[in-house]
Amino acid sequence: MTTSRSSGGRRLHPTVRYVAGRVAQAVVVLWAVYTVTFGILYLLPSDPVSLQLAAANVQVDELSPAELAAAKAQYGLDRPLSTQYFDHLGGLLHGDFGRSISLHRPVGELLAERLPSTLALGATAIALALLLGGGLAYLAAYVRPGRLKLALNRLPAVGVSLPPFFVGLLLVQVFAFELGWFPPTGTEGFSSLVLPAVTMALPTAAMLAQVLTRSLDDQLAEPYVTTAAARGLSRQYVQARHALRNAVLPALTLLGLLLGATVTEAVVAETVFSRQGVGQMAQQAVLAQDVPLVQAIVVVAATAFVLINLVIDLVYPLFDPRITHTPRVS
Amino acid sequence: MHRYKRPLIALTALALLSACGGGATAAGDGGDEGTPVKGGTLRLAFWDDQQGCIDPNQVYWIESRSLNRQFADSLTDQDPETGKIVPWLATSWKINDDATKYTFELRDDVTFSDGTAFDAAAVKTAFDATHDLGAKSLLGLTYTAGYKSSKVIDDHTVEVDFDTPNAAFLQATSTTTLSILSPKTYEQTPEERCTGENLVGTGAFTLDSYTAATEAHLTRRDDYAWPSQLVKNQGAAYLDAIEVSYIKEDSVRVGSLTSGSVDIAWPRLPISEADQKVIEATGASVESRSLPGISSSYFPNVTEGRVLADEKVRQALQKAIDRKSYASTIFWADYPVVTGPFDSTTPYSTDGSAALAHDLEGAKKLLDEAGWSAGADGYRTKDGKTLTLTIPVRDTTPGDQLVQDQLKQAGFRVELKVLTLAQYQAAAAGGEYDLLGTYYTRADPSVLGSVLDQAVSQAGTAQLSQAGATADEISGLFRAGLEATDDGKRSGAYADLQQEILEQGVMFPLYERVQTAGISAKVHGFAWTSEAFLRANDIWVDQ
Repeated sequence: MTTSRSSGGRRLHPTVRYVAGRVAQAVVVLWAVYTVTFGILYLLPSDPVSLQLAAANVQVDELSPAELAAAKAQYGLDRPLSTQYFDHLGGLLHGDFGRSISLHRPVGELLAERLPSTLALGATAIALALLLGGGLAYLAAYVRPGRLKLALNRLPAVGVSLPPFFVGLLLVQVFAFELGWFPPTGTEGFSSLVLPAVTMALPTAAMLAQVLTRSLDDQLAEPYVTTAAARGLSRQYVQARHALRNAVLPALTLLGLLLGATVTEAVVAETVFSRQGVGQMAQQAVLAQDVPLVQAIVVVAATAFVLINLVIDLVYPLFDPRITHTPRVS
Repeated sequence: MHRYKRPLIALTALALLSACGGGATAAGDGGDEGTPVKGGTLRLAFWDDQQGCIDPNQVYWIESRSLNRQFADSLTDQDPETGKIVPWLATSWKINDDATKYTFELRDDVTFSDGTAFDAAAVKTAFDATHDLGAKSLLGLTYTAGYKSSKVIDDHTVEVDFDTPNAAFLQATSTTTLSILSPKTYEQTPEERCTGENLVGTGAFTLDSYTAATEAHLTRRDDYAWPSQLVKNQGAAYLDAIEVSYIKEDSVRVGSLTSGSVDIAWPRLPISEADQKVIEATGASVESRSLPGISSSYFPNVTEGRVLADEKVRQALQKAIDRKSYASTIFWADYPVVTGPFDSTTPYSTDGSAALAHDLEGAKKLLDEAGWSAGADGYRTKDGKTLTLTIPVRDTTPGDQLVQDQLKQAGFRVELKVLTLAQYQAAAAGGEYDLLGTYYTRADPSVLGSVLDQAVSQAGTAQLSQAGATADEISGLFRAGLEATDDGKRSGAYADLQQEILEQGVMFPLYERVQTAGISAKVHGFAWTSEAFLRANDIWVDQ
């Protein structure tokens, strides 16, 4: 579809152009995220300097003016706001996230320590959500109208309305304390991943199932399905080969958004299951007003979000060849 | 500012064994059943670690102080029963008459776990470094108030000099805050020390690893032989190791104890009555001790124009709070009722229950006299103004709401202002409140000075809670307490201080703070330190 326009070598391959454009967009988004976070943290109704000194465990009201000045200098808080802004930004560009004020360690080190656990949790939760949500939707669309179909169609609504915090506590109670199948807390091994991943996967799975069921039903009512069936193709084959491919697009869009929500869900899951991941650290950092740490976490989360959505956009044509990344021509 | 941190500090207290030990097997308080067995690991679950620092000299977070005690020793120790200071790394001491010169004789058989000998130079290095931390060490700041310098007299004699009298320093030498770490430890920056790497003490355990809010691991020191006389086991500890985790959710922490995945569940707030029943049903027990130091109290803002500027209104407020029903409603039936500015485990605390008795009619009468007349909606008014008390809070607790309801009976309208941390700090610093809650843990009454003494503290609770003659009198009594090395004089000064505070309405005690811990049936020999921290020397576990 693109060969005819790739002549001359002056024009880039449209896909490359598309990706380059998206990357440029991503950079702008990340810069905006950084700037807005910086602004919010500094515009809170209080003295950011005192707050950060408090986070660094310095008792500001006990300091003499000279001591206060020294303490500010030690944490670099005496520099003009704009200098701090550009220094932080420059550092980030060089991969230097600065030092956490409340945890007394380099932010990069803290992230390296905690990201793997959160990534493993997020990936497991998403895989589980796809399996559960996709499976349920597929099944709900496949069964003939009746009570079972009604029940399967209603099930996601239950899942969506269950508060993850409550689900987490319930799971710990039953599967850790009563049955002893999984450890209640901790970050060690795969078995510690199961309960928090299920906690996180349930709402995501439910939302996916809702959207996918609906669009599968819509697709199955399309004339092409009737045509396919008339040609003697089995119901199973039509649903899997024709309807699903068309139905999956809205679900895919939703998935991109849900992946972004993983960070928020991780806060809950990591708190309930005492997992030391980025989610819990984010919550602590916000409470402690640990500016460098909050900044770094927000930027990392935003990068992940941008990347995931880029990948999803690139995956669309695989499901629907009508979608190409050819730039629109006016 | 950040009064909020003070609340976090507090934690420790006395044996309410009758109240919540229930009939469960005596795991604590000696735990002398059976013969101690060597070996095994103690798995301990704390609530949280928001300070994220494990350096004893800098820590105010009480959970961290419980860990500090296991790997860092101090010059003296404090008897939890009597509050008396007893020898530990120091064998004896002399204090001059105005409490400005302390001379300690040191043990000569003690080594740090890095092999360095413990001597007078090490003590000097540690005290100098702790004092140098300044505002980085909230506790060190008050413990070493007036510190001038330390002098090495000979290898095993050290002299500590003060510019101003500090009679509370002897108790300070028993705290984890003034633990003596190896001189090499102090070659690192305060930030590096916080992370727990190369933190070396003379304790019965060594700190192998610490990750803030995540985990800590301690192992026994086999050549340990210098506990204080308060410890039964005079040799190396029984436990091979102590493994610490942090579990924020109460129900998960309690469930971990009852399902056997931890051995001690150590919360911040008292374990609820319902959870205690669950714990005791599994054969585990609940230990408790009131945290010595300032009871959980409100401090007024008596600035001209505020309703609490009027002494009669303050006295009415004191009478309108029903502390008995607070203790039994918010906690449980036999929960100790607060009796004064200090929790009952604080040395020199006196019983001020009479001044704190609930007297609704008396309160109403005082408010009538002060010109606040009852309105149709139950709230009192004067010159068209409603009798409103603004209390900033981080979140509303059942306790806050109970107080709100109790004060309404007398005609006060309590406005609970829920603020974010930042706003809360600003409100506290700017005096935008009528009452501000705080507490503080230390087994010495001088601790109150850092919150209430205008002469030494810039905090709002000190500057705004008293005026004129009352302020002078209170500062004078704090000074007298720090100057008196004689026990009788000290107790006299602090008794007068407590009476003055309650009568003038400088402080409105609300409840006694109790540290509880759920202890598995397989744990024996559990013991509290005087400040209600863990002492693990005597602990052994069934194998």
